[in-house]
Amino acid sequence: MIMPRGHQLLLPAKPFFIALSLLLALIVDMVPVGRQPWMPDVLALVLVFWNVHQPRRVGVGWAFVFGLLVDVQHGALLGQHALAYSVLSFGAIALHRRLLWFGLLGQAAQVLPLFVLAHAISIAVRLMVGGMWPGWSLLLAPLLEALLWPLASWLLLAPQRRPPDPDAHRPL
Amino acid sequence: MPLGTLDRNPPPFFRQGTPALTKLLFCAALAIFLMVADARFKLANPARAVLALALQPLQRALLAPVDAWERAGDYLRGTERAMAAEDLARRQLVQQAERLSRAEQLQQENQRLRALLDLRPALQVPSIAAEVLYEAADPYSRRVVIDRGSRQGVAAGAPVINDAGVLGQVTRVYMFSSEVTLLSDKDAAIPVLNTRSQQRGAAFGGLDGGGMELRFMAANADLREGDLLTTSGLDGVYPAGLPVARIAVVERRGDSSFARVSLRPVAQLDDVRHVLVLGPVQELEKVRAEAHAASAAAAASAPARGGKHSGAKP
Repeated sequence: MIMPRGHQLLLPAKPFFIALSLLLALIVDMVPVGRQPWMPDVLALVLVFWNVHQPRRVGVGWAFVFGLLVDVQHGALLGQHALAYSVLSFGAIALHRRLLWFGLLGQAAQVLPLFVLAHAISIAVRLMVGGMWPGWSLLLAPLLEALLWPLASWLLLAPQRRPPDPDAHRPL
Repeated sequence: MPLGTLDRNPPPFFRQGTPALTKLLFCAALAIFLMVADARFKLANPARAVLALALQPLQRALLAPVDAWERAGDYLRGTERAMAAEDLARRQLVQQAERLSRAEQLQQENQRLRALLDLRPALQVPSIAAEVLYEAADPYSRRVVIDRGSRQGVAAGAPVINDAGVLGQVTRVYMFSSEVTLLSDKDAAIPVLNTRSQQRGAAFGGLDGGGMELRFMAANADLREGDLLTTSGLDGVYPAGLPVARIAVVERRGDSSFARVSLRPVAQLDDVRHVLVLGPVQELEKVRAEAHAASAAAAASAPARGGKHSGAKP
């Protein structure tokens, strides 16, 4: 496999860990903290991450399913998040061959337009159907999501960075 | 590829599965279909109810940390605040006791007067006490979720009140929870009566900062800041006489024949814990009509029986 120079060779991703991280992100999204338009969407972030790193395992279909769950939980229009996540996921898959050649901040800068697009789709759909304007603090959400990208990359790649043969000196 | 196995094959060159664009088009079409079905035809409610039921235990479990956080905050703020709250509650209780005794007296008097005038008796509304679980996270609407659902007898369209006044209306009912659309939602509308001038109007939500608006009032209408608006009972949804809002600002402009009237809801819409779900008035009317018919039938059959008896006696 062609890799950027100086990158560590990663272990294969475990499907169990991918599923667990997606479920945990869904749970984080479901914590009832009330109506905060600026709250970053952790599930969208994790979905984009796995779309970029494992596009054959986590694709548009899973994004759609998770979007439906979020719609029901938020009491939003059924299909609003599903559409936004599908587009997000497609964008991430279209980006995935190029993205990993950049550093973490460069990656964050490149996923920012994806998150902006996803939120724009949500807003457009809801304003068309007749929702309220949620306030300008909504603009913070995609920015925070992009800023969380390095952290998410570090956390979600940690299991794959372990040495292939752990011993007494390298337990992890 | 079975779950739990590691992917040790090199990525395939040509067999990439369904292209992402195809999947996107399919999912987008499905999402748009769902949105139309949900927004226009209300077809998606069963699917929503099933998903909501599946997510329910998780949601309840997730409430625990948030509640614990709030409780920790209460604990840290000390007993002083708790005592102040109790003091306030006691004072309110005393006030309400006084008001209650007066209300009972007035109700009796009202019943007598209504009987004198041959009016229908006023509605006695059954109610279900409920607790607000959380605000719905959707920033495009103003909704809260309460912990009573169709199993406890909550029906869609039921008005929701608290001790201060009207909060809103139940719009979606699941098995063990329901969604209440608050008065400050953009789609919320409620017919109101100005208690001072006895003028009717319609109040709509959707003003910035959680306020409401009284629309279609003439620029020279008799409106003053501080006027109390109550439900007028014309809609057949809300019982008459519940406090809704007070007039905050009246703006009479030269370029418009209508006054811009912004309202401040009487109940603190976003900061409520305990609410009361009333039965929808239409069903009450039905029940009352049946009761009326039954009593009429009883009244009609009573003389007949009496007649039979009198006929049998001699």
